[in-house]
Amino acid sequence: MYSIIQLFIRHGGLLTLVVLEVLCFFLITSYNDPQRQISSASWLKYSGTVLNWKSGWLDYLSLKDENIRLRVENARLQTQIANSRLIEVPFQDTLVRKVLADTLEQKVIRPEYVLVGARVISNTIGARDNWMIINRGKLDGVRPNSGVITRSGVAGVVRQVSSHFALVMSVLHHQTKVSAALKGHDYFGSLVWEGGNPQYMSLSDIPYHVPVQPKDTVVVSNYSLLFPEGHLAGIVDTAYRMAGSNFLYIRVKLSQNPANIGDVYVVTNRYAEQINQLQQAVKHE
Amino acid sequence: MNSSYFLPNFWRFAGLVAAQAIILSEVALTAEGYCNILLYPLFILFLPIQIPTPAAVSLGFLVGLAVDIFSGHLGVNASAGALSGYARAAILHRFAPRGGFTGKEIIPSPANFGWRWFLGVAAIFYAIHVFWYFSMAYFAPVYLLEKILPQAILGWILSMLVVIIYTRLFHPKV
Repeated sequence: MYSIIQLFIRHGGLLTLVVLEVLCFFLITSYNDPQRQISSASWLKYSGTVLNWKSGWLDYLSLKDENIRLRVENARLQTQIANSRLIEVPFQDTLVRKVLADTLEQKVIRPEYVLVGARVISNTIGARDNWMIINRGKLDGVRPNSGVITRSGVAGVVRQVSSHFALVMSVLHHQTKVSAALKGHDYFGSLVWEGGNPQYMSLSDIPYHVPVQPKDTVVVSNYSLLFPEGHLAGIVDTAYRMAGSNFLYIRVKLSQNPANIGDVYVVTNRYAEQINQLQQAVKHE
Repeated sequence: MNSSYFLPNFWRFAGLVAAQAIILSEVALTAEGYCNILLYPLFILFLPIQIPTPAAVSLGFLVGLAVDIFSGHLGVNASAGALSGYARAAILHRFAPRGGFTGKEIIPSPANFGWRWFLGVAAIFYAIHVFWYFSMAYFAPVYLLEKILPQAILGWILSMLVVIIYTRLFHPKV
């Protein structure tokens, strides 16, 4: 309080002037038409500039948050895309439940996949068996034996999880088998890496009579428990019948180059356990 | 402020506002801004030298507001008056005689300090007042060269002439 009085004693004239000039400014712009028009036009112009400037800075400061939000949004949309392929399953399928809402018949799709966005923080491509580490773990809902995909292709399979990280077996690993199919044909086979060029894998078990052409699309088959059905895997590079074999040798160029994987999604199939149990039952029968 | 200073200042206030509102504002209206004689700032200039700056600023605001109420441009003269009240203190400080003001001379008039000193002070004081007045009257920088400066220079010359006539006539000491 004392310092305020001191301030007034020292700068009282200036303070009075500022207060009265502000009052005058208000009077001038309220009671005189030309000045009011000038001030409102200027206010619009400059407040617009200032607001633009301010929102630009705020946008810049929130880029990091925005990035996280976009990744979450991407994971959500990818989940929708993965689950939307199920819409084509006929009504008798167990995945579809019929619900009568009033008089309208509605199909309700049970979502099959849950996707979690993650970032690759370590990746190898040069070894015989390659691994990645991603920055999502047990606490984020990542479980072992979940598929890992990117927007444009397949990346690997989760093998081990810690609380916050997960070890992913890359597609460039001799144990990784992706159940894949040729788009447009119902035949399916296994996509495996034979070593060598990290951009190419081979698709086995396609009978020789299937008319496979280069540039044909290879997608994840409906038998896959790891990856969402229909997700892009690669395109056919070369295909020929091996001597003395009933199957084609198909070289597939991966649509996602394993050398530059950044953002990935961990795919959890909610029914994988049920299906696995049934598959175990087959062995016991 | 000593009560003996009150009456002369009160009459100056009333007289100058009346002259400004009744005669000079009418003249200004007919000449579309090119014959704008501002006499009322003399009240601010002839306030006692020892008056505190906040009081000078407030009185400047009040005399301007009084003129505004009669002329119908609320705020324009008041703004210029408040600024003049502040500028006056700075000018008087700059023009203070060697050793400062003694308190014997009550107002900064030619009767107390001579014509040469008074004209210097009044010229600067009026230049600031008139420029600010026209700036507030036009209110946009785009008018600066086209309207504000020419009218301010003309208004300053005419006002200074009237100020000299007024001061010669009344020759105020207090």
